[in-house]
Amino acid sequence: MKTITIDPITRLEGHGKISIFLNDKGNVENAYLQIPELRGFERFAQGRRAEDMPQITSRICGVCPVAHHYAATKALDDAFNVTPPSAAKKLRELMYCGYIIYDHILHFYYLGGPDFVVGPDAPPAQRNILGVIEKAGVEIGKEVIKHRAYGQKITSVLGGKATHPVCGLPGGISKGLNKEEAKEVEKMSKSCVDFAKFTLKLFDDIVLKNKDYVDLITSDPYQLKTYNMGLVDEKNKVNFYDGKIRVTNQEGKEHVKFEVKDYYKKIVEHVEEWSYMKFPYLKDIGWKGLSDGKDSGIYRVGPLGRLNAADGMATPEADKEYKRLFETLGGKPIDSTLAFHWARLIELLYVSERAVELIKDSEITSDKIRNPVGEPGEGFGVVEAARGTLIHHYKLSKKGLVDKANLIVATTNNAGAITMSIRDAAKGVISNGKVDNGVLNKVEMAFRAYDPCFACATHTLPGGMPLQVDIYDNKRKLLKTYNRR
Amino acid sequence: MKTIILGVGNPILKNDGVGIHVAEELKKMIKRPDVKIDSAFTGGMNLLDMIVDHDRAILIDAVKRSDRKPGDIDILPIGEISAFHTCNPHDVSLPQAIELAKKLGEKRIPKDISLIGINIGELSCEFGEELSGEIKKAVPKAVKIVKEEVEKDE
Repeated sequence: MKTITIDPITRLEGHGKISIFLNDKGNVENAYLQIPELRGFERFAQGRRAEDMPQITSRICGVCPVAHHYAATKALDDAFNVTPPSAAKKLRELMYCGYIIYDHILHFYYLGGPDFVVGPDAPPAQRNILGVIEKAGVEIGKEVIKHRAYGQKITSVLGGKATHPVCGLPGGISKGLNKEEAKEVEKMSKSCVDFAKFTLKLFDDIVLKNKDYVDLITSDPYQLKTYNMGLVDEKNKVNFYDGKIRVTNQEGKEHVKFEVKDYYKKIVEHVEEWSYMKFPYLKDIGWKGLSDGKDSGIYRVGPLGRLNAADGMATPEADKEYKRLFETLGGKPIDSTLAFHWARLIELLYVSERAVELIKDSEITSDKIRNPVGEPGEGFGVVEAARGTLIHHYKLSKKGLVDKANLIVATTNNAGAITMSIRDAAKGVISNGKVDNGVLNKVEMAFRAYDPCFACATHTLPGGMPLQVDIYDNKRKLLKTYNRR
Repeated sequence: MKTIILGVGNPILKNDGVGIHVAEELKKMIKRPDVKIDSAFTGGMNLLDMIVDHDRAILIDAVKRSDRKPGDIDILPIGEISAFHTCNPHDVSLPQAIELAKKLGEKRIPKDISLIGINIGELSCEFGEELSGEIKKAVPKAVKIVKEEVEKDE
């Protein structure tokens, strides 16, 4: 058996490693994704003051500080038995919109989009934002930078700090918005609506009008028939900040809808000996190995998971785009992993429109932004991180210290699906042992669509970001190592 | 010279946060209106946002080089760093962010960007706020290097 190892995965700078096992004919037997998990969070959290958790957890990962900040803050609302004033909820959600704006822009233009804009077969050195600008032009580049910065700005106006917010408190938020700030946020949010529409048009022109890309998106290796999961509001529309967790099945019908406090009754984590990652699955369906279909409890989260799990978007323009997505790709649910990119852009439009709605709300400059807390107890918090459902669960002592902490992060929710997508893509694109940059990139594309986050700091300096590919023969003897940048 | 000193790293991931420990020490020692000292746990695009509008940027970060021992300190001009693997697996590297900004006509990039890299060997994937012994010893050394660098123009 031959082994091909893609290590680490370009553009996602954690310690991700893909191992592909070939059979004697050079076709893919199996493929695995390995990610080192950060360890010891529960012990680290134990005995800390509850109110520190929004700050501490926002440092778990430099990618989604705002998501952790609010999953923690909401868990504390629950643990201290307090409901924030409605102005505080709106401010939190507005800030959250800013985070999704910059995160989704970053993913499309910097990480996932280059595969389409520059091309899946282009050399890795060109498949990045610089390549995108080369192709799309400097003016578009400036718009990308501007709107990503707008997202950051909306977050920092409310959060106090751009990257690590300090505003979430149990029962509310520490800082409100003045009229002047509100005016600025309104201007930026409106501009983001236009930019999101522009980006969807760009996706249309570059991807959907290109038959090769559409064939790639709808091709077998990139399909996965799993359950889908995401937060929805009372009308079953996508919501990032609040709501119930809804799971839909392979026919697009609701399988279950539950409150986050019941998560441990609905989700179980499976352990595989070859992986540090845990594999969550739906308890009532059960673990049937790394397989999709109705009998396997594996589900998907993130942009496509959310859109599949909902009945629409809560804002008008995004809802139109939502309908167009499902009409174009053949109805609900959409199984194509590469459609995550399209779903992400529809979400970009939604959060931009939602930010405009929120900033126009008469309550948004209110100073009633905090309610007094009750006695400490147990609390659950859930938000939709950019890359999927994120759950925080704390048990507090009578003194308000953390006794127990458990987190289920988005990439963990997607662990089973990501692993299967990599395997299926590898099976689809590798035959007779033939491997080159384009082939390996098509395997990575299956992975990149999910926008996974390893949450593990790696600093290796100086030097490149090598993509190492080890090829072994059927006795697992190393035949060749490819290094590419 | 308008200078920003940035400790880069994750403060709750043990040795990874060494740059932040150094920045905290420097805050106690350097009090100059033209020198800003801050810390950052973030990636290339955000780092760029933080250093623009300064003449000089000094980043202090944990690094891993196979030819160096844990605790060894390297001063690296940004031009010599081909990739900047930040704590952020989702972002672009700082050199890439700088290249991009230059291409788009950004004029506010510091002329002088350097990195004080403290070698930490293997990165622990375990949460914690403490530094290990040899890395702790490197903190005053790095502080001295940065302080001398900053004082050159005083």
